[in-house]
Amino acid sequence: MGGPCEVLAEIADEVTARKVVEAVAACAWRIELKFSRYRPDNIVARINASAGAPVEVDEETANLLDFAALIHRLSDGMFDITSGVLRRAWTFDGNDRIPTSAEIDALLPLVGWSKVQWASPVLTLRPGMQIDFGGIGKEYAVDQSIKLAALASDAAVLVNFGGDLAITRARDGNRPWRVGIEGIDASDPRASTLVDLAAGALATSGDTYRYVESERGRLSHILDPRNGRPVSGAPRSVTVAAPTCTNAGMLTTLAMLRGSEAETFLESEGVRHWVQRILPVARA
Amino acid sequence: MAAAASAAAAAGAIDMADKDVKIGAALAAATCSLLGVAPSVSAAAEAESKWDIDSAFLYYGESDGRVKDFSVSSHATRDFGDQRKLGLDLSVDSLTGASPNGAIASDGAQTFTSPSGRETYTTPAGEIPLDDTFLDTRFALAGNWSQPLARLYTVNAGLGFSSEYDYQHIGTNFGLTRDFNQRNTTLSAALAYAQDTIKPVGGLPLPLAQMPDAVDDDDDDDMSPANRGDASDTKNVLDVLLGFTQVLGRHTILRVNFSYSDASGYLTDPYKILSVVDPVTGELIGRTPAPGESGPTGVYRFESRPDSRRKEGVYAEMRHDFSGKVLQVGYRYSTDDWEVDSHTLESRLRLPFGGSNYLEPHVRYYQQTAASFYRYSLANTAPLPEFASADARLADMSAATVGLKFGHVTAGGNEWNARLEFYRQMAEAPNEFLIGSQPGNTQMPDFDAVILQFGYRFKL
Repeated sequence: MGGPCEVLAEIADEVTARKVVEAVAACAWRIELKFSRYRPDNIVARINASAGAPVEVDEETANLLDFAALIHRLSDGMFDITSGVLRRAWTFDGNDRIPTSAEIDALLPLVGWSKVQWASPVLTLRPGMQIDFGGIGKEYAVDQSIKLAALASDAAVLVNFGGDLAITRARDGNRPWRVGIEGIDASDPRASTLVDLAAGALATSGDTYRYVESERGRLSHILDPRNGRPVSGAPRSVTVAAPTCTNAGMLTTLAMLRGSEAETFLESEGVRHWVQRILPVARA
Repeated sequence: MAAAASAAAAAGAIDMADKDVKIGAALAAATCSLLGVAPSVSAAAEAESKWDIDSAFLYYGESDGRVKDFSVSSHATRDFGDQRKLGLDLSVDSLTGASPNGAIASDGAQTFTSPSGRETYTTPAGEIPLDDTFLDTRFALAGNWSQPLARLYTVNAGLGFSSEYDYQHIGTNFGLTRDFNQRNTTLSAALAYAQDTIKPVGGLPLPLAQMPDAVDDDDDDDMSPANRGDASDTKNVLDVLLGFTQVLGRHTILRVNFSYSDASGYLTDPYKILSVVDPVTGELIGRTPAPGESGPTGVYRFESRPDSRRKEGVYAEMRHDFSGKVLQVGYRYSTDDWEVDSHTLESRLRLPFGGSNYLEPHVRYYQQTAASFYRYSLANTAPLPEFASADARLADMSAATVGLKFGHVTAGGNEWNARLEFYRQMAEAPNEFLIGSQPGNTQMPDFDAVILQFGYRFKL
């Protein structure tokens, strides 16, 4: 899941606690193995190696593709699971290498959900195109895990996969879970914000560790798939509370894609959100 | 280049903002369809349930019209958050039927003075004598509070009370647990102290005194039955328990308990007697009630037990989760200064099926050696021992239980269950306890029992 995974639970007996933790761990591993783009042997690898041939997918993958297609439409093409090939040009590892316009433009024909044929359950990509569930997978895993945790026990459980988290219910005594949102300056613990969560989920999107340095400052790892360039004015970190982690995660991603309009977008959506920026918003 | 790209991105963002389309509802609906969950956690589902109540109705019935017990019990837990919990137990038992009085079967009918000392009852020839005046209602109430003390400590304290017409119990307990090793190891210590008051009908029989004739109610209203002492006595019990729980790997838990119990005071059963027999024939010594009186037709003595008993025990239990099927195996060894050594082996296997049901087979085997003062009967020529009891529960005894429990969890998270168990108790009187020609001719008060329980667990 690209980060530490933890389960917090208010359970006195060890048998139940084990049951919950094992259910979550099994779910996390299942989704990681099935949808990680780093695995050579899963459905994502099969699709990405299809070289233009149609691939029939299973029901769960089809549901995720339907979901991705819908978000693509809702975001006017800003959310796109085919945008991963842009990483061939952009390596967000803190370096200062900015790709040339030609490099980016050469990749753009391989980017765009509108270029794929999706007739559930058959997906056909253009040769060279790839998909990546990185923008959905972790939040989806949190939601599926919390569902299993709730089935395994009626206790209060919190599942946290690298900062994306969900709870089964409020803590015993109807007390909310208190969750810290890490400040963008991780070395200063006082900078973290405490959020009370009595139901639902929290997701965070940010560039704390993923960026490119340029003479204009740090470029966010949020790429606009429509032009292959980093979104301007993206916040350093966006956290959203929503009924499910997938829902929250989509809102953080869409807010990031709005760049300097992130706050405006979240305000208009009327969701609880926490946006962190370092510099005043730079307008183009 | 970069400036142009930024401008394009910003323009896109502004375009969308201008449209002012809220995507929240569509997104929430899409998410729910992806995850297969209800759109949001409803306020009703979030409503705090205050009490968790486990209630049960239990029937226990012994064979041959012996003891029957109907019991209604309820265990309620209220969670105040932060692992602070209040537990309340309430139970009402109704016992009826007959219970062995300790006398041996005889070739002739046997008449006994009842425990009250004012009536008699008669057992037919060849049968184990049962005292059928046995009837009682027991009421019990207990409360327990537990809460964290410091980060890894939990403390609990409780008070219990129970009452029957001839027996009162009041007890208090205190316990402390501490987690170690990332909560994979738990050590616990518990202390319980109880004071019981025994007030038998007719008063406390004098130890090993002979069962007298019945007192005639009509003309001796003020007269107490003979061979009785004080009206009541007390018993104090101190229990110490040290426990160790260890998580062994992903699927296994081991628990080991050491227990020490020190009982002192009146430990005799005031309703149990022994037959006095001829040292050669092993037959009951006959007796004739005084003229005009009714009373025992044989010589019987009230039992007598030491006034202290110290018990030590060790219990080990292993639980293993075979992918959802949980096997629990436990063994207990107990020894005491009455020389009752016992072994208990018990196992349960929980088998979930169909998503919301489980079956749980249960087997238990128990075996003990006789108390040093256990006697099948007393010889009338021998000097009286200091202590003697013919209670089969102090004899060489074994018992087996087999049972099956079925449970169903409802959609609302409540559970109902039913349990059916069969119990068989078999006692033996080895030759060392037998007199004259009794060997090969003994008859122990063995019995079978059936246990039927219906339980319902719900939140309030």
